[in-house]
Amino acid sequence: MLQDNPPEGFLRIDFDRDRPETTFNSHIGTLYAKRGAKGTRDEFVLGFRVHQHMCNPAGGLHGGMMMTVADLVGTMGGGTLVGLRKFLPTVSMTFDFVAPARVGDWVEGRAEVVRQTRSLLFTNIYLTVGEEKFLRASQIAKIPSGEGLAFGKAKLDRSAAGAPR
Amino acid sequence: MSIPPGFRELTEASGFAAANGPWFEKIENGCAIRGFLPGPQHANALGIVHGGMLAAFLDSAMGTAVLHTLNRRAVTLRLSLDYLGPGRVGDWLQAEGEVVGHDEHVAQVRGRLYGPRHEVLTGLGAFALLSRQRTLTPRG
Repeated sequence: MLQDNPPEGFLRIDFDRDRPETTFNSHIGTLYAKRGAKGTRDEFVLGFRVHQHMCNPAGGLHGGMMMTVADLVGTMGGGTLVGLRKFLPTVSMTFDFVAPARVGDWVEGRAEVVRQTRSLLFTNIYLTVGEEKFLRASQIAKIPSGEGLAFGKAKLDRSAAGAPR
Repeated sequence: MSIPPGFRELTEASGFAAANGPWFEKIENGCAIRGFLPGPQHANALGIVHGGMLAAFLDSAMGTAVLHTLNRRAVTLRLSLDYLGPGRVGDWLQAEGEVVGHDEHVAQVRGRLYGPRHEVLTGLGAFALLSRQRTLTPRG
């Protein structure tokens, strides 16, 4: 059985705190996040291990899984970079499928904020295995007026890593 | 909610498609229409269908359109999506693609995903056509 073995610093994202049912972000597989120093490349990194149930019949990471994760990196990661904890609905996304990824690969996703307006957030997103980029995406997300919903109550699970809460 | 008449379940699905199915398909006038019934496992924190799930499903319908129109297998090179409205859990959602142009290597495909009341997602994609001899062989 393939283990996730996330690299140091990655904590499981608990998307479904206090929820009766599993939502899509949990259903697709265990996703992790790492928070680095502000302003660095690793300020927000999403990561996961590629398992068979995320793949297409040819044995590569399914495009749908790539798009789902890139979407999340843009809204959750991009939002985190600009200090928004709201749920940001996606308005538009474009994906370029540059290369495949394989079972066992550790995938990382990072967002770069292009511009933030009062109501929109423009980001670029890359998914990588090691130093290799395999998905390039650009996203426009809506910044809702008012307080809005916090991002799905998602929280990094520090208990598993034994880190202080 | 039952599955509308004419749709058959895609039982050959594996991996991601199987884990997020069941997905259904109907052939109408030589064109493929795909459908699925979203459940709570497809929802995001707002309780509507996750944009990633919608993207995956429309992508599959657009790839199938290439297969039915050009009789060639294809992989997605580029996909551009606009989210028009929410997909609701419990609403039957359908997706279809139309090949709008192609050469020997790449096909351009327009796609739409819609629910019983409104358009949900619209897309434009470029699909790389696999050589006619090549078959997708499953790997261990």
